[in-house]
Amino acid sequence: MQKIIMLKYAELNTKKANIGMFLHILKQNIEEKIGNFANIEFDKGRMFIKTEEENYSFVLNSLKKIFGIHEIEVGYQIENTKMSLIEESLIKIIQNKDFQTFKVETKRSDKNYPLTSLEISKHLGGIILKNKENIKVDVQNPEVIFYVEIRKDHAYIYSEKIKGLGGYPVGTLGKGLLMLSGGIDSPVAGYLAMKRGVKIEAIYFESPPHTSVEAKNKVESLAKIISEYTTPIKIHVINFTKIQEEIYKNIPHEYLITIMRRMMYRISEKIAYKNNCKILINGESIGQVASQTLSSMAAINEVVSIPVIRPVACFDKLEIIALAKQIGTYETSILPFEDCCTIFVPEHPVINPEKEKCREFEKLIPYEELLKEAIQNETILTNQTKKEFEDLL
Amino acid sequence: MIYLDYSATTPVAYDVLESYTRATKDFMGNPNSLHSLGVKSKALMHSAVKQISDIFNVLESEITFTAGATMSNNLALIGTALANMKYGNHILVSKLEHPSIYSICKYLENIGFEIGYIDNTEEGLIDFENLKHQMRDDTILVSVCAVNSEMGIRQPLKMIRQIIKKENPHTFLHSDMTQALGKIPVNFHDVDLASATAHKIYGPKGIGLFYKNSRVPFTPLLYGSGQVNMYNPGTPPVPLIVAFSKAIRLATVDLDKRENFIKRLNEKIVNELKKYEGIKINQTKICIPQILNISFDNIKAETFLHALEEYEIYVSTNTACSSGEISTAVMAVYNDKKRASSTLRISLSYLTTTDEINKFLSCFRLVYEKLSLLKKEE
Repeated sequence: MQKIIMLKYAELNTKKANIGMFLHILKQNIEEKIGNFANIEFDKGRMFIKTEEENYSFVLNSLKKIFGIHEIEVGYQIENTKMSLIEESLIKIIQNKDFQTFKVETKRSDKNYPLTSLEISKHLGGIILKNKENIKVDVQNPEVIFYVEIRKDHAYIYSEKIKGLGGYPVGTLGKGLLMLSGGIDSPVAGYLAMKRGVKIEAIYFESPPHTSVEAKNKVESLAKIISEYTTPIKIHVINFTKIQEEIYKNIPHEYLITIMRRMMYRISEKIAYKNNCKILINGESIGQVASQTLSSMAAINEVVSIPVIRPVACFDKLEIIALAKQIGTYETSILPFEDCCTIFVPEHPVINPEKEKCREFEKLIPYEELLKEAIQNETILTNQTKKEFEDLL
Repeated sequence: MIYLDYSATTPVAYDVLESYTRATKDFMGNPNSLHSLGVKSKALMHSAVKQISDIFNVLESEITFTAGATMSNNLALIGTALANMKYGNHILVSKLEHPSIYSICKYLENIGFEIGYIDNTEEGLIDFENLKHQMRDDTILVSVCAVNSEMGIRQPLKMIRQIIKKENPHTFLHSDMTQALGKIPVNFHDVDLASATAHKIYGPKGIGLFYKNSRVPFTPLLYGSGQVNMYNPGTPPVPLIVAFSKAIRLATVDLDKRENFIKRLNEKIVNELKKYEGIKINQTKICIPQILNISFDNIKAETFLHALEEYEIYVSTNTACSSGEISTAVMAVYNDKKRASSTLRISLSYLTTTDEINKFLSCFRLVYEKLSLLKKEE
């Protein structure tokens, strides 16, 4: 018998014709993380991963961060499906395990197997009882469940099940552009979009000297944290200083944020289309701040035609925070650096901005040119692991 | 020079010193400064911390840099004791700890904590039954060093922690891993708190590491500002952190290979020294090969040390930190005061050569014969 990790796919059973593509991308995603350390095979029901003993914890930890996996099962592959060999392997497995109560659950995808699932469970339960002292069967609440699966060529025994992240493999549903600020919400929004199979690039607006390099580094760190759930995330950095200063000088202050957001949306849409992103994703949550009321969203959204997905729109702040902590972005998000949105904040921003007024006010600045310039001067951070310190460390 | 005192301290590895110098020269900014010099230092520091947290598979925030293992031990024991007073005031330590642990325990006793000492078996292994027996509802902390500094006795921390948690889930386990890091695989997840230092793993003196699992309630002993290095605030010593990070990376590879090589050297010495009638080898099955402890029947260990020094050979009498007293470890294992009163520690490294050991053994014979003769003349 050989140690093996088996993956159950999440939600993919709803995909019929496309399942091959989904599995292919899932395998690719897994290979990117652990390809150097593991051998990966798959069929329509399961993915099978074999690796050296010393790599198990690394491989398991990596798998826990890959979307499209419903469950990770750690167990053993038996060379064939002969009952005598299954028994022999099971006896070896139980020797290294500490438990007092157990049950056996069997599944056979090979329906031609001479015994039924129930018969196999019963039989193997008896074998376990015979070969270990001071244990008993407990069907209701066992300490350990030994799962036995009889598939076509091999049988599998496992007792350890780890919940996977679920969702679709990242990349199976195309690409989106995440409006990434340094806050708590947008990384969570990105994570949730990735969970639905969307590959992500990010856009970040900086306004030096009003914002610091550290604010940009923070965004880079956030992108790096969420990229642990996918491949490295490309960040499009837009210098927003000129636009922001123009807005500040020329537009009534209660509309500062609304207009600013409209400009950001316009730039984001252009960057998205240029980079093959089909949607914009952001961390807006209904009602959280003045720019996120329904009328604000409407006034801001009207400047673009690209679909805007707001994964955390209906979450309350505590739910978002809980998720940010789970993902690992929270600690970084709360670092105190000025980000683009918080600098030019008016004392009383408009809560119900009117689209008409927005259009009027915008005429006061030559924004088309400014936007063009900003897009031209875009810089890109590729968020690869920083190599510059490598020789020092 | 033949240096056989690697458990007292180690020479700084060339690459580590190089990193230290470069970080000092090229990253002079205070990592807390907002300008680009500061940001650059901070980024470097983060990478260094990240490398350490990755190696140990812990959170970056669970690592605090200290001045050395003694400071780490202070934070670990006192900080945890103070924060967990509401659960009790009982602390258990092994009889094989570094002297700093006992000094801290003395202070804790003065402020109202009760200290118990766990017995060990004849091999030096923590006596599990005795540990279970001494565990109480009000036991808040147990401290057991991963590898004893005098004899190199290695403890199964994972098992010890399982026993402790089974008896009392509120009890935390601290381990002084100073002598373990870089010699054997260490796993911070086997414990709740840990101490280590750079200068025992070919890193610079002046920086240590304190690991505290985020679950452990903790009272800081030092106060200041700064988000990094929470329990030892102040301007972080970036070059030291960088050098430490590099030293850890270099010291935690090829452990098996190095250990096998050192084991052969250790056996060579043991095979030779056990021929001497007046020498006892203080070694049990669970001692690591990097540390070899012997006792003299009739020669004062300190005299022997100075006599070897004339040949430019450097060793220790018990540990450098407790010179002059009897060896607590030898006493704890053999319960023989005479045996514990004249001990010599020879500590080996992967840098030690077979040639050095041969020279050491021939000088050892000369010194031994000379000093035994003197003894007889007396």
